[in-house]
Amino acid sequence: MASPARYCPSCLSHTSPSTLLRRPHASNAFITHQQIRTAAQSQNAQKYKRKDQPASQKRKKQRTTFLEPDMREAIQFPLVDAMRYLRAAEVGRPPTSSKYEIHLRLRTLKNGPVVRNRLRLPHPVKTDLRICVIAPPDSAAAQAALAAGASLVGEESVFDAVKAGTIEFDRCICHQDSLPKLAKAGVARILGPRQLMPSAKTGTVVKDVAASVREMVGASEYRERLGVVRMAIGQLGFTPEEVQRNIRAFVEGVKRDFAGLSDRISKEIHEVVLSSTNGPGLSLSGELRGVGSVATKDVGMA
Amino acid sequence: MVSLPQRMRKLQTKLLAIRLGSGALVLPKDVTRIHMRFAQKIDGGHMGPRAFWRHELIRLKYHNPAVSMTIDRTATADDPAVMSVHFASADAPQSSDSTTQTSTPPSDAAPPTDRVQTIDMKHRTNLDILGELQKLTKAFAVEATAEEREEMQMLEDHRVKSARDSKLSQEVRARQKREKELLKQARGELAGDAV
Repeated sequence: MASPARYCPSCLSHTSPSTLLRRPHASNAFITHQQIRTAAQSQNAQKYKRKDQPASQKRKKQRTTFLEPDMREAIQFPLVDAMRYLRAAEVGRPPTSSKYEIHLRLRTLKNGPVVRNRLRLPHPVKTDLRICVIAPPDSAAAQAALAAGASLVGEESVFDAVKAGTIEFDRCICHQDSLPKLAKAGVARILGPRQLMPSAKTGTVVKDVAASVREMVGASEYRERLGVVRMAIGQLGFTPEEVQRNIRAFVEGVKRDFAGLSDRISKEIHEVVLSSTNGPGLSLSGELRGVGSVATKDVGMA
Repeated sequence: MVSLPQRMRKLQTKLLAIRLGSGALVLPKDVTRIHMRFAQKIDGGHMGPRAFWRHELIRLKYHNPAVSMTIDRTATADDPAVMSVHFASADAPQSSDSTTQTSTPPSDAAPPTDRVQTIDMKHRTNLDILGELQKLTKAFAVEATAEEREEMQMLEDHRVKSARDSKLSQEVRARQKREKELLKQARGELAGDAV
C-alpha cells in the first residue's frame, strides 16, 4: 500500500540514502506518519497544477477604458437645432425649474484620477446663492465681502441668528481672525450637520473674504463620474449665443483640468451631449447653426 | 452603456415624435403668443388641456419656435380652462423681432398684442382643442417629407424585426431552462437513490 514512490521530499531529506534503500522494511508506525503527511502532497499537487485553465473557465480580460464608440455613426446637431428640440420638449414647464445640461464624455481610464473642479460660467445658471461671511461687521474685509455679493456679514449677530434657528444662507465663509470667536460661539453643533461650518479643510476659512465670495457667487461644481462630466449649463431662457459661451467656458475649464493632471494620465473629450431636464440628449456637432436652422433669436423664446 | 446604433434609434424615434404627429402645425405670422390656464389635476374637465400640452403643444412649439407658449396651472378645478391666442396687429413688428430678457418671467417677455382670442378647453379632448385652434388661427399642417417617411419606415421595420427576434430567443431560453431543470431533477433523484 505504501510504496516508495509516494514519499514526499521533506521526508526523504531526513532519511539517509542507505535508509532509502531499505524502505520496504519500514515499520508500521512510519506508515501512519506518512499518511499524516498527505497534506503536504496536496500542496505539491497545487504546485504542479496546470496553470492555464480551459477556455470555458477563463475570465474575460477586463477593459481598462470606457467604451469609445465611433462618433461618425452618431447623428450630431448644430447647437441651434438641438436647442429647438429641447425648447419644444420643455414647453410649458416652469421657467425656473428646467435647465440645459451638458455631458462631456471622456476618453479615459476607468481607474486613476478624476477631473473635479469649480467653475464660474460667463452666464451663471444659479445666481441666488446666499453667502454668509463671519467677520467683524465694521472691518474693511466685511465691507469688501458685502460689495462682492455676500448677503449676511457679521459676528455676534450671525451667531445669535443661527442659535435662534434662522439660517438664511447656503454657504458660510469665515475670516481667519474671527475663527476663535466662531469656535467659542458654539454654533458648530447647528452648522456642522448642515455642512455650513467653516473649516480650513474645505477652504472656507480665508484671509481674503471678498475674493472667495466673488468666486463662490455663480460658481458651479462639476466632477467626472464613470467617464462623464455633467453640469447644468444654462437656464431655459438663454439664447443660443449665451449657451455657446457657457459651453465654451466649460470645455476650456475641463481641458485646463486635463492639463493640470500628471503627464502620464491622458484624458480627452470624446463627445459633447446637450440635454435638458425633461428632454432627450442630443450630441453636438460643434457648429452654432446648420443648414436650415431657424434664427437664433427665435430659439430664446419662452 | 448601450450601443451607439441603439441609442441613435431611440433618439430618432423621440425626435420624430417631436416633429410629426397631431399638433404639427405652422401658425400664421401674426400669432405671437399662446397662453393656457388650467388646473393641476384632471378633475372637473381639466384632462383635455393637459393632454394637449403634453402632446400637441410640444409639436406646435417645435414648428413655431418664435411663438411664446406659456402655461399657468394655478387654476382650481372649478375655474374655467382657457387658452388665449394673442395676435399681433397687421402693421406691428413680427414676433421674432421682439427681444426677450432671460431673467424676466415669460408673461412680461411677450410682445405687445392688440387682439386676444380665447378657446374654452373645459370638458374637451386634446384633439377637439387642436381643431378649434386650427380653425381660429388658420394654421396649416406639416406633412412628413420623403426622408422622414423613409426614416419612420426604417424604424418601424426594425421594431417589427426586433419583436420577432425577441420572441424567438425567448422560446430558446425557455427551452434551455426547461432542459436544465429536467436534468437537475434527474440528478436529484439519482442522489436520493444512492442515499
